[in-house]
Amino acid sequence: METVGIWCGAILTLAIFSFLYKDNPVYKACEAIFIGVSAGYYAIVYFFDSIYKKFWLGAVTADQPEEWLFGGAILGVLFLTRLFPKISWVARWPLAFIVGATAGLYMVNYFVTNAMNQVASTITDVIARGDAGDINWIQSFGTLVILVGVITGLMYFFFSKEHKGAFGGGAKVGIWFLMVTFGASFGYTVMSRMSLLIGRMDFLLGDWLGLIN
Amino acid sequence: MRRQLPFFFVFLFGTFMVVQNFVPHEYSERAKEFLSDWTIIIGIFALALGIWSLIHVSLDKINKRKPNWEYSFVTLVGLVAMIFFGFTANVSGSWLTYFAALMVLLISLWLLVQGILGAGAGVTKAKEKFFAGIGLAAIFTFIALYDKSWAFHFYTSEGLENPLFKHFFSDIMVPLQATMFALLAFFISSASYRAFRARNLLATLLLIAALIVMLRFTPGPWGDLISKTSTWVMNVPNLAAQRAIVIGIGLGMVATALKVILGIERGYMGKG
Amino acid sequence: MKNLFNMSRFKIVFTVCVLLSLYSFVNAQAPAVTTVGITPPAPVTELTAVDTDNDHGHSITVKWTPSADDGAGANNVLGYRVMRSNSFEGPFNDTVGVVPLGSTNFENSSSIEEGAEGFIPDNTDFYYRVDALTGDSLVFSSSEVTGPVHSYGQWFNKGLIPVFFAVIIFTALTVLFVSAARKGKELYVRPLAGIEAVDDAIGRATEMGRPILYVFGLGVASDIATIASFTILSRVAKRVAEYQTNLIVPCYDPIIMTVAQDIVKTAYMDAGRPNDYKEDAVFFITQAQFAYVGAVNGIMIRELPATNIYMGKFYAESLMLAETGVVSGSIQIAGTDEIAQIPFFVVACDYTLIGEELFAASAYLGREPLLLGSLKAQDYAKAAVLVLALLGILAVNFSGDLGLTWLVNFKDWFKVID
Repeated sequence: METVGIWCGAILTLAIFSFLYKDNPVYKACEAIFIGVSAGYYAIVYFFDSIYKKFWLGAVTADQPEEWLFGGAILGVLFLTRLFPKISWVARWPLAFIVGATAGLYMVNYFVTNAMNQVASTITDVIARGDAGDINWIQSFGTLVILVGVITGLMYFFFSKEHKGAFGGGAKVGIWFLMVTFGASFGYTVMSRMSLLIGRMDFLLGDWLGLIN
Repeated sequence: MRRQLPFFFVFLFGTFMVVQNFVPHEYSERAKEFLSDWTIIIGIFALALGIWSLIHVSLDKINKRKPNWEYSFVTLVGLVAMIFFGFTANVSGSWLTYFAALMVLLISLWLLVQGILGAGAGVTKAKEKFFAGIGLAAIFTFIALYDKSWAFHFYTSEGLENPLFKHFFSDIMVPLQATMFALLAFFISSASYRAFRARNLLATLLLIAALIVMLRFTPGPWGDLISKTSTWVMNVPNLAAQRAIVIGIGLGMVATALKVILGIERGYMGKG
Repeated sequence: MKNLFNMSRFKIVFTVCVLLSLYSFVNAQAPAVTTVGITPPAPVTELTAVDTDNDHGHSITVKWTPSADDGAGANNVLGYRVMRSNSFEGPFNDTVGVVPLGSTNFENSSSIEEGAEGFIPDNTDFYYRVDALTGDSLVFSSSEVTGPVHSYGQWFNKGLIPVFFAVIIFTALTVLFVSAARKGKELYVRPLAGIEAVDDAIGRATEMGRPILYVFGLGVASDIATIASFTILSRVAKRVAEYQTNLIVPCYDPIIMTVAQDIVKTAYMDAGRPNDYKEDAVFFITQAQFAYVGAVNGIMIRELPATNIYMGKFYAESLMLAETGVVSGSIQIAGTDEIAQIPFFVVACDYTLIGEELFAASAYLGREPLLLGSLKAQDYAKAAVLVLALLGILAVNFSGDLGLTWLVNFKDWFKVID
């Protein structure tokens, strides 16, 4: 059975790699298999995670049932009214709940993590000193660069003012910082992507063909 | 009223969740847990609509003989087979009647759905197909009730332990996922080839920063210098710009959430 | 003589009894046990127990001044053991926590579930005692007992007061600018290349007779980026309906699919072309990341859309989508709030909305005064963040020199205490 699994995996791997050459019937068949099997897989997994574990065990068969969960089931059933055009407008109620509740939940969370905590992290001693009280010029320079980067980066994202004059100069410096960060992020992920390919090559040459240990 | 009521619900639940953030009391925490659970439960009902959409689109392709319509068969067979495996468990080790039942189920579902979609969708002999589907569904039900070698499991999760379900996951989904992920190595190479041209100052900055960070593990006499420079680039200018982006994103998210709650932003709710 | 002897015997017995009682009393107060070599350390002092503030209840904070032998004196304290009882007299059999030397407090907390291990019921009186421990488990010193104390939940988290005021101010700013916009005040916004390209890209697709592909990414309907994407889709769909171009919207999340179907249908109805709306233009694929990407790549290669618009939450698949779009010869406009994916879109797409620009896009595309007003509020909030950061740096670096020592900890005003 394991051999069948390895051969299956190898054939599917090669079929996907064939897409790099051009679109072909083998790749199309694999794509169709992938879509069908994955859609079915997640349907089952989500059914048992949410309907069975959360709702059935939590609200229907539990010793101390949580009746509140029936509210979710009712909203879920209302969502299915989309299938009937005459009453499909009812399906907007559960959608309104989802959008409203998560907007409210994330609003304060993101204010704290993305705004206030970032401001707190930016406020720091510009002149860094060592244990003996002497100035650490490299660290101080770094802190100054961070400060300039944050300020000019924020200037770039101003929508109400045209990027002209001194303000435009600041925004220009901001985009330089942004380009450096994009390049750094790009370079950072290159090796990890290569390691994924190495992993598949390892499977094909090692587990399937047995050419490498 | 029909159009305003959803926006009222958005305001109601949105305001409640904003206030809930500031109220640490147990009742508030329980309410947040329940509302989060509601979202998960609604999601599975929505998934049923999604699966129906996938089936509908696939059948439409097959019936109208659109390009690549043959592959939609494969998608539908994979979908139904996986759902069948997930809800059933084989008890005796004999797979003959199990697979026979699956084949009967596939054909009956095909005929039933073709029948339901009807003549309006260009399905010929829709009524005959519908009744043929009913007949095969009856045969399937007979097999399911009287064949003791396998059983349905809707109320328990034995289906997740079905060896076919597990093999389809490990031998089909996992290699496909891993290989698709591995394609990124090729895509990142082609993107690098196109992007890393010093056309102007901005492209040059991007190129230099990328090269420094990519070469950070290089051994040799320059390796230490490149590694230290890379660390400085990641910890200083990279951090600065990321912080600016994060602050901007945070304020943008807060503003969008506020617009949604106050009803200023209404584009997400169609008129139906 | 007989009475005298009896009196003497009585006195001896009485004295022995008194001594024994004194000995027992002393032992009850401080049941320290001495073994050869280790003497009991000094007990902790100033023991207090209060309900933990700003929480959901079921939590009591115990504080004390460390033993005099903790890092000093006999230096034989290894840690502290916090004991709890339901009565002042004890018995103190419940060990609720052990903390290392140097500790001055311990939070005795539990979850809100009644059946959970170590559950602490609210509004129930408890008494606490802290033992200073040594290397010998039999040698320790117990503090005075403190109590009664009971836990209860708070209705407002005082640690979030700065956040509360910030949210109020931001909301007020938004309402202010929206009101100004309603009154017809002109609000300027600088041009954004990515937004201006959307109309051109739709026009290109119409001229070439090729469809437009709109991708939401891997977000769910509750993601703010997806909500922003919905509003962008509504503008794009309106244009598409007016120009009678084909639109393809493959969806990862079924709820997004239902919302997108509504949006596109509404756009066609508003454009006066309800019959042109195709139900299957917006469809669900699967909730597996790479199966979804494979399918979208297949659509790109086979349908050859003229324009690809990626707006929402994207992860590792961003580069795959963008690169396949380059191969199929499409104009690509992308916007995401995922910082790790922005570089890939910048490199591979023709136009990219970076972070906050995605959330501003709806205001740009519709040019509705209300949305522009809210964009202004965003900008003022950004300016406030800048000013506060600068003030904070000045305060931290120079307040000591100016004698304004209360400003030295300015940055703590932004710290949120959970």
